Amino acid sequence: MNHVKVGMISFAHGHAFSYLRGLLELPNVTVTGIADEVRDRVAGVVEKHGLAYYEDYRELLKTDIDAVVICSENVHHAQQTIDSANAGKHVLCEKPLGISTEEMQRMIDVCREKGVQLMTAFPCRYITAVLDAKAAIERGEIGEILAIKGTNRGTMPGSWFIEPELSGGGAVLDHTVHVMDLMNWFLDSPVAEVYAEAGTFFHDIKVDDSGMVHVKFENGVIAALDTSWSRPKMFPTWGDVTMEIVGTKGVVSIDSFNQKNEVFSNLAAKPTYSGWGDSMDGRLVEGFVNAIANGTPVPITGEDGLKSAQVALAAYESIAQKKAIKL
Amino acid sequence: MKVAVIGCGGMGRTHASDYAKMPGAELAAVVDFMEEAAKSAAEAYGTQAYTDFDQMLDEVDPDVVDICLPTYLHKEYVIRAANRGKHVICEKPIAPTKEDAQEMIDVCRKQGVRLFVAHVVRFFPNYLDISRKVESGAIGKVGVVNAKRRGGHPGRTRPWYNDRAKTGSVIMDLMIHDIDFLRGMLGEVSSVYAMSRLTEHMEYTLVTLRFEQGAIANIEGFWGYPGSFTTAIEVAGSEGIIRFDSETTSTVKIRKIAETEGAAPVVVSADRSPTLHDPYYYELEHFLSCIRTGEEARVTAEDGLKAIEICLAAVESAETGQPVTFGSDSKAGRE
Repeated sequence: MNHVKVGMISFAHGHAFSYLRGLLELPNVTVTGIADEVRDRVAGVVEKHGLAYYEDYRELLKTDIDAVVICSENVHHAQQTIDSANAGKHVLCEKPLGISTEEMQRMIDVCREKGVQLMTAFPCRYITAVLDAKAAIERGEIGEILAIKGTNRGTMPGSWFIEPELSGGGAVLDHTVHVMDLMNWFLDSPVAEVYAEAGTFFHDIKVDDSGMVHVKFENGVIAALDTSWSRPKMFPTWGDVTMEIVGTKGVVSIDSFNQKNEVFSNLAAKPTYSGWGDSMDGRLVEGFVNAIANGTPVPITGEDGLKSAQVALAAYESIAQKKAIKL
Repeated sequence: MKVAVIGCGGMGRTHASDYAKMPGAELAAVVDFMEEAAKSAAEAYGTQAYTDFDQMLDEVDPDVVDICLPTYLHKEYVIRAANRGKHVICEKPIAPTKEDAQEMIDVCRKQGVRLFVAHVVRFFPNYLDISRKVESGAIGKVGVVNAKRRGGHPGRTRPWYNDRAKTGSVIMDLMIHDIDFLRGMLGEVSSVYAMSRLTEHMEYTLVTLRFEQGAIANIEGFWGYPGSFTTAIEVAGSEGIIRFDSETTSTVKIRKIAETEGAAPVVVSADRSPTLHDPYYYELEHFLSCIRTGEEARVTAEDGLKAIEICLAAVESAETGQPVTFGSDSKAGRE
């Protein structure tokens, strides 16, 4: 297997830390450096792992790396991906892939033109429970899928996530895409229609912190997804990823992070869940670098990222027009 | 107070059994057009069986008539009871149409009798605890609610449920519980959106309500669930969350090794959450108390009408694929 040299662009999204951890564990990968305009954000990991630091990501792109991992604010994904592709680097881009259909299509097109691969970071595809449920469905255990109720409820992330000029949207954009991608992956049927409700209920912020996104697929499947940042400060964990999949012959329920121990400690401000399930982020970056090393297609494409982000964008259109939107 | 129960199906028997043990209530008669059903219930709960409604009224002269008939028969029997001067308790949904419900309310008012609609979820201790906590401000202002209600398909044992004209679907018969409960807790609904899947053996529906105060609620209703009856609700507010899931609140779990022919023993399991009285007991006790004192019920006949109005809007949305809006600005366009 070929060796892969990876650089990382921005740690604005906290997932960068676990992606880095995952990359450092892989035998065929060298992480060479990190570019981040906020030095403080990465000073710790740069020093700890002896990495090169770049204030400007374009300097990182001039080095001999094979690939980049982009975890910047949503609005920067497109430009950084396109610059990376132009520099001949493969790209793993944090979700949502972009904030408009047009820019996401451009990201996909430029990567294709430059002969580099573009992967969207949807780690939920590597949740062991999700894979187990998908296999059960493929074995026909619940017949044909009729409907899905999903939740990706979380804690309000704060920072740039709630600045619309950096995030491009609120909870609906942030939390539609993960489970939407799982639905697309399970169903392999285009989305026909989207209806959504949203609001700002839990926090005094400039973006939506709540959403209920409804989808009808071309194959007739109906789905609803709660995307809200509705977990209070006192909640024992950050949030959830659940899917209840109703088929003609049965039901599969997934509660992705229910592999947990409950911790009641006088030293903590609240009871907490200590998750002991498998890591998904490590397997995501492994899937990316193995595809690059072997010259095989990445497991989750830019088109996948576009498809699920488009549902979030249609949800915002539905909210504005107060009606169901055909895609 | 003399009570007669009309209809000796599952719900009628539950009500009859509760009256039979309720201080201050006398289960004076049970009525069913199927003689066997009436006799069996009368024997079980120590009362007289009738197959003729009017004969029962003549001979027993109850104070209250409790209608546990299929929905499409509610109007006829509520009005017949009211016209004989009887207070009426009517199972939910009040009626299949708004017009029928309004007529029932009007006749009862004109005859000076009380009409109660048995929206029992308002009397479930777990749901009551949620609404009380929310009202106390424990979770702040409510933002997003997820609720679900799943069970076997009632049409398997009671064929009238298979006739959608008689039941009005899983929305009208099952989800109405959550719809009424949430309206009781959060106030009037401003819009309804619904999606539905129907097969020979199941009916699965998702309904999203938007409340005038802002909150969003997604309700899942499922007939044909291949598991035990399940309810769950999570209410998320600006200061916290309150939630309940029947799958995690059993207080008694029984595991038995069943009779086995082969080598591997078959384990039979039952998870239970026993209570001193079932929620129907508290509901019926409350209605009888309202008759005695004249006070307003926790859930009124008008609430029953509002509940079917929302359900019918959900049925309409599931058909058109577009939300149905209530309220002053849209009412003119809809009615």
